[in-house]
Order: sequence, then structure tokens, then C-alpha cells
Amino acid sequence: MTTLNLNNSSDNYLNHTKGICSWLFTLDHKRIGIMYLVCVLIAFFLGGVFAMLLRFHLLTPEGTMMTQDQYNQAFTVHGAIMVFLVIIPAIPAALGNFVLPIMLGAKDVAFPKLNLFSWWLWVFGLVFFLIALASGGIDTGWTFYTPYSIDKASSMGGVIPALIGAFILGFSSIFTGMNFIVTIHRLRPKGMTWFKMPLFLWGTYATAIIQVLATPVVGITLLLLIVERSVGIGIFDPAMGGDPVLYQHFFWFYSHPAVYIMILPAMGIVSELIAVHSHRHIFGYKFIAYSSIAIAIFGFLVWGHHMFTAGQSQLMNIIFSLITFSVSIPSAVKVFNWLATMYKGSISWNASMLYGMSFIFIFGIGGLTGLYCATLATDVHLHESYFIVAHFHYTMMGSALIGFIGGMHHWWPKMTGKMYSVLWSRVGWAMVFVGFNMCFFSQFMMGSKGMPRRYAQYIEMPQYQIYHIWSTVGSVIMALGFVLTLLYLLHSIFYGKKAAANPWGGRSLEWQCSSPPPWDNFAEQPEVGDCYDFSVLEWNEEEQGYDWKKDAVHPGE
Amino acid sequence: MMANLSSLLLSTVSTGKPENFWLSEQASTVAESVDLTFFVITWICYFFFALIVALLVIFAVKYRRTSHDIVVDGPTHNTVLELTWTIIPLILVVVIFTVGMKGYLNLREAPEGCYEVSVTGQKWTWTFDHPKYGATQVGELTVPVGRPVRLLMTSNDVIHSVWIPDFRVKMDVIPGRYTSLWFEATKVGDYILNCTEYCGKDHSAMLAWVHVVPEEEFEPTMKKLASEYEDMSVGQLPAYAINRLYNRCQSCHTLDGSESTGPSFKGLWDRIQPGNVEFTSGEKLSSMLGEATVYEQPENYIRASLVDPQKHIVKGYLGSMPSFQGQLKDKQITAIIEMFKHLRDVTDAEGNIIVNTDGTPRQ
Repeated sequence: MTTLNLNNSSDNYLNHTKGICSWLFTLDHKRIGIMYLVCVLIAFFLGGVFAMLLRFHLLTPEGTMMTQDQYNQAFTVHGAIMVFLVIIPAIPAALGNFVLPIMLGAKDVAFPKLNLFSWWLWVFGLVFFLIALASGGIDTGWTFYTPYSIDKASSMGGVIPALIGAFILGFSSIFTGMNFIVTIHRLRPKGMTWFKMPLFLWGTYATAIIQVLATPVVGITLLLLIVERSVGIGIFDPAMGGDPVLYQHFFWFYSHPAVYIMILPAMGIVSELIAVHSHRHIFGYKFIAYSSIAIAIFGFLVWGHHMFTAGQSQLMNIIFSLITFSVSIPSAVKVFNWLATMYKGSISWNASMLYGMSFIFIFGIGGLTGLYCATLATDVHLHESYFIVAHFHYTMMGSALIGFIGGMHHWWPKMTGKMYSVLWSRVGWAMVFVGFNMCFFSQFMMGSKGMPRRYAQYIEMPQYQIYHIWSTVGSVIMALGFVLTLLYLLHSIFYGKKAAANPWGGRSLEWQCSSPPPWDNFAEQPEVGDCYDFSVLEWNEEEQGYDWKKDAVHPGE
Repeated sequence: MMANLSSLLLSTVSTGKPENFWLSEQASTVAESVDLTFFVITWICYFFFALIVALLVIFAVKYRRTSHDIVVDGPTHNTVLELTWTIIPLILVVVIFTVGMKGYLNLREAPEGCYEVSVTGQKWTWTFDHPKYGATQVGELTVPVGRPVRLLMTSNDVIHSVWIPDFRVKMDVIPGRYTSLWFEATKVGDYILNCTEYCGKDHSAMLAWVHVVPEEEFEPTMKKLASEYEDMSVGQLPAYAINRLYNRCQSCHTLDGSESTGPSFKGLWDRIQPGNVEFTSGEKLSSMLGEATVYEQPENYIRASLVDPQKHIVKGYLGSMPSFQGQLKDKQITAIIEMFKHLRDVTDAEGNIIVNTDGTPRQ
């Protein structure tokens, strides 16, 4: 019973040391996780402001509030912030940093100093993005396609600082990935074999492999672009003998695996959410674990599907199309396993589970519409249209970010030691869910009919205005839902009820230390059992949380 | 089996269907097979999405938590079931891939004897050259109905992309190489052609209209286009230039005096004639006009600006103008010069064009 003896003293990681420097230079993975969380949420707010500007601008065919140049800058900044500063670090760096070592029963990640360095690199990356905005702006799109990004007469002065920022953020991501790979290999506790790990760790592990293997490629590519733009060596610019499509290959060799950097950890979170909040053993553990690795591997082989209309040979297109379909199989397996996990469960309708279920709904649409994009005949028509915009928002935002928000609700009591309002969290979820689908489903329809993406105006195509209006109304509902979420979460920190060690009835190790966790997580390394066997837990009314059953055998005894 | 499935589904999709919930009207021969693929996928999606949502909602309602007691029930895995939902999607995606590949080959393999058009993308206009007739169109492309047309495309600056949604065709237009696409229009009418590769400021204005005309109207239209300026007197040229040539300039040069990528055309002749133009090199145009100088006549400066625009860049501008050497016939250059001289006759104070190509007042 030793591991369940909670550390009841008031000393925890939040109040162990005091002062701003005890946070900014901390080596504690929990504090670094919280700092990432705060930073990512600030960046999410910034990127969201630009998103709302875009949506309001598109209410009329002429555009309501921006010049073309301003619009082009707004969508570039929105995309770059959301991809590089928000979605890629959101789950691994913010939630992963907090949860991963505790799930392993460890005191910290393998390399705490490297961990702190990753966070500082993120901050420097942000600084370079802000410099890019101040030094003439940037209008290349987050993809920096050549030769547009090289041509000084057309693209704006902030390109090089933005490239440097993305390069630095790449290193932040690589270091986090390396840290997690070593931590999972070396710091697993006694009894936790690979197939006894919580599935969130499988998702994070698969992600870390992609981060370490793919990110250096984009790093090199961005460096080449910097060299080309500043010194004028012809690598990608055809006017100097370069090849502009080569850039697209280099870029997507990273950036397609990068979408799995976004989605895999979210899938890991959803596996936890569905099992814990249904109190049902996860169905088909091995299939889910293997499917994460399969997605990570296949994800490296499909980058060419971004260039079906870029003049690639027909044979290449056919091969890339075929391999792309292979990713859909492990994704489908996960969805069906999650549904089977809910069968005969005890399904709580709290915010975490509602977000978990909406992940299945939204990823269902995002994944199925991927079939149109993998199929050659239809992708030629849909490429670079609003259909694609809708598809990747359904996966990157509706799936990856919804998974992140679900995970934030799941681990919020653990991180803060406080419970948030059940009622308001349901209202917030409903607004986000309804607003999201209104905002992006209409974009599928206008895209397949013929509305191109990245258009500041659509004067000759006024028939799409009704879809844009729907989309904008949805985005407003969603934005208000996020504001409400922020308010009740902040409220809970000051006025929320105290959280029990295990408010949801989870079995993985993070629920076996107090909420918030003590400075060193565990006094001694805990023993592990089956992290999805909930039968050993029972409700304790007094603590408003779950305890070990009196008669159940604890692993290690 | 595949062939049967295809023909069965094909019979439900007839040629030239009008706009529906998902897609715009079909106006080319390939649209049919693209839409067939689209609807095969759509019905598979409807089925699986309905299945997923039904299970999600039924389980969430039926098994909603009523007490804190933990009751463990049901299997933790079932290999047969899991293999089933691995293999069925696998078979389905192979079907989708095959249908999509067939449609794609259909889309890419141009038939013999296409009518050829050369396309040039340049920020932010489309230029269409008809080599057979020696005719050039800007911002509009006239093609005959019922005849396969092949576009051979390249770009003068950054990557662009041609998309004609009603034809379901798209191909990137890349500097330094040629790409191509083909289509056969099935209906007379006007169809929008969009640029779909982001190319900067006026990306969303980089449009052209594809005019699909009956075969018997096509050849006369082309012949008229090719030669209409040849028989014009100098006095008729400004109206021709403002209507037929200015659309290649309009993305960078305004008519109302407002600032853009290049100097406005308004009052241009009044600045050039006395030489009131300063270049980035510090020289003034006035030193280049007159006997025994570079240009002698101000008209020569305009000509040089069109064929070698980098030679002298007006102070305050970046010099991003491309050369039009070989693209403009001598008489067309004369027409542009005449247009500058008589800009007040063909535009109003707000920069609106007030005459038609034949010189009649525009309504």
C-alpha cells in the first residue's frame, strides 16, 4: 500500500520554492510543463486573433477590413504561429513534460537541463517571429514556398527572421523528442514492460521518433533558404539554376510527418480519456500501440501527396497515392478500438470525456475526408481549395487541439490541485464543438465547389459568401467557447474545490501521487500493474476521489 | 468486379450534371470520371461516419455513468473482430485507390490532335497565346466546344496554378519548366479559371474567364483577335490598347493616380515628355532626350521600358517589371505609346475605361 500513502503535507511542486527565477530556471519537469502550457496558450490566443481577423475579413466578397497585403500577412502569421508555436509543442512539450515522467513513476525526465533549454529555445523562436513581424512582416504562407520566398521584390522583409525562428523551434522540438525517447527507454519502473505502458506514452514515443528523425531535414531546408535569400546561391530559384519543386519535397519530407507529430500524441491522450472516463479496460491495447508506430513509419513515406499537381511524374503520383492510403488503416483501427472500449463501460459525461468523444466525431470527418485527398482524381480538383483548408483544420485543430484541450481538462486537477465547474465546462465544450463544425464544415462545401484558398477577395465568386458567413458565425461561437473555457479554468485556480489524488479513477501512476504532485513526485519508485484494470479502485465520498479497494492486492505486495 | 461496380455507378452519373450539394456543374469530359470517384468515396464516408456516430451516441447514452461503482464487464480484446476492422477498410481503400488512379490517368493522358494554347502566368495575369492563329488573349481564353484543348504552361516569376473548377482540372505553372493540362469542354458558356498557388498581393485577383464557344464561332473570333489592330489607324489605337493590352499592366500600374507596384499611368506622358523622371541611378530622363542622346525621342524611352525594363528603374520603385520583348508586335507598342498620349480620351478622372475596343463609348 506504500504508493497510495499520499503525501499529505502541503509541500508540492507549486510552492516548494518561490520567486520568478525559481520558475524560469527550474529543472523540474512539472514546472517546465506548466511554463510551456502558459506560453502555448498565449501563442494560441495570438494565432486565434489572426484567425478571427481572417474570418471577419471574408464576410463580404470585397473583404471587410484588410488590404490584400494585410490579409496575406494575417494568414501567414496565423498558420506559422499555430503550427510552429502551438500545435507541435502543445501536447508533447506542455502536457507530455508534466505527465510523462510521473506516468513512469520517475522523478524527472532523463535530461532535465536539456528540457529547460528546449523551453528557452521556444521563447527565442517566439522572439524571432515577433522580430519578423516588426521588420516588414511576412507574407509567404507558413510553407515558405520558393521562389516566392526568395524574391525580395515580392515577399516581405520578415522572411529571414521567421525562418530563423522556425529553425530554432525545430531544435526545441528535437531536444524534447530526444529527452522523451531516452526517458521512456531508461526510466521505466520495475514491472512496466513496453506493453504495460499507458498508451499516451506509446503516442509520445512514436511522436518523439518523428521529431528526432524528420525535424533536422526541415532545419537544413530552412538554412538553405536563408543562404539562398541572403547570399543569392541558386538552390531553389530557377532564375539562378535552382529547382523550386525540390524545396517542396524537402519541406514536406518534414512537414507531412509533422502532422503526425501533432496527431499521434493527441491519439495517445484520447486512448487515456476513453478508457479512464468509461472505466473500461482499453480494447485491443496492442493494436492501438502498434498502430501508433505504423502511423509514424508510414508517415515518412507519403510526403509526395502534397505535390500531385506540382508536375511530378504520373508514376510517382500513383505510388505516393497508394502509400498514403496505408495511413488510413491504423487510423481506422484506433477509432474502432476506442468505440469498442466504450461498449459496456460506465461513461462519464464530464468535459474530458466529451472532448474525447468529440475527437472521435471530428477525427472521423477529418480522417474520412483524407480519402478524397489521397485519391488522385479527386485531389487534383480539391488541391489548394477550401476543401483542403477544412480537411486539415478538422485534423490539426479539431483533432490535435481538441485532444490537447481534452487532456488539459483530464490532468487539470493533477496540475493545479483544483476542480473546475462541471456545468460551465460542459457549456464551454458544447460551444467549441458546435462552433468548430459550423466554422469548418461549410468550408468543405465551398472548397469542392471551387473556392480557392488564400484568397483575400472573391469578388467574381459571390456565390460563396453564404458559406463564408456560416464559417464566420461558427468561428465566433467557437472563440467565445474558448474564452469561457479560459475563464472557468482560471476561476478554478482561485475558487475551485480541492482535487483528490485520483478524482477520475485512473490507474496510471500519475493518479497515485497527490494533486498537485509533490516536488519529487514519488518518495520511492512505485510498483506498476495493469494501468487499465480499474476493478481495484473504489469511490471515496469523503475525498471525492478514488481509492485502492480494501481487499484488492496492490502490485508489489 | 471492379468494372461492374464502375459501370453501375457510372450509370447513376450522367454527363454534364448540374451543380449539386458538393460539386459545381460538370462542363468537361473528364468531370464525369472525377465526380464518379468523388461519389464512390462520399458514399463510403457516409456509411462509416453514420456507423461511428451511431455507436458513439448509443454507447454514450446507454452506458452513461449512473454511480461511482466500478463494474468491470466485457472483453479487453478480440483478435477476430480487430482483424475484421483492419481488413475491410484495407479492401475499401484499394478499391478507392484504383478508381481514383483510373480517373487520374484519364485526366493526364491528353488525346491525339489537341488544340494547343501556350499559357504564361505572371503576377497577376494570365496570358494565352494561340500559336495557330498568332492571337494573344489576356485574362480570357476562348476555346471551341467539343474539341480537346491542351494548355502548355510556364511562369515568368513565381509558381502559379491553373484551376478550372467546372472542368475539374488543375496543374501548377512553374518558372523554368513547362507543365501541361488538357480538357474538352462539353457546354458553351463562361467558366472561371483561378490561380490556386499563392503568388503574393493580388493572388485572389489572378483570374481568367474561359469562353467556350461553338466551333463555327471559334475560328472567326481567333482571326479577328489576331489581326484587329493591323488594319487600325493610329487614331484608333488608344481604344484598342486600353481594352486589349492594358490588362497585362493593371496589376502594377493604376489609371487613377494611386500608388501600386509600379508608377501610375495617369499623367505619365506629361512627366515623360519633358523628362521629369528620376531613376534609381540618380540620372534624370531629361538628360537622355534630345539630339545625340540615348533616347532622342521620349517614345523610345517607353519602348525601352517595355523590352528592357531593368535598364532604367524609376526612383522609389523596386524594378520588378518583366520584359515584354517578343510578346508585343511593333504596332502594339505603338498602340501603348498612343494610349499614354491620349489617356484622357479613353479613361475618366477616376481611372475607369470609357471606350470599347472599336472606339464606341462604353456604357
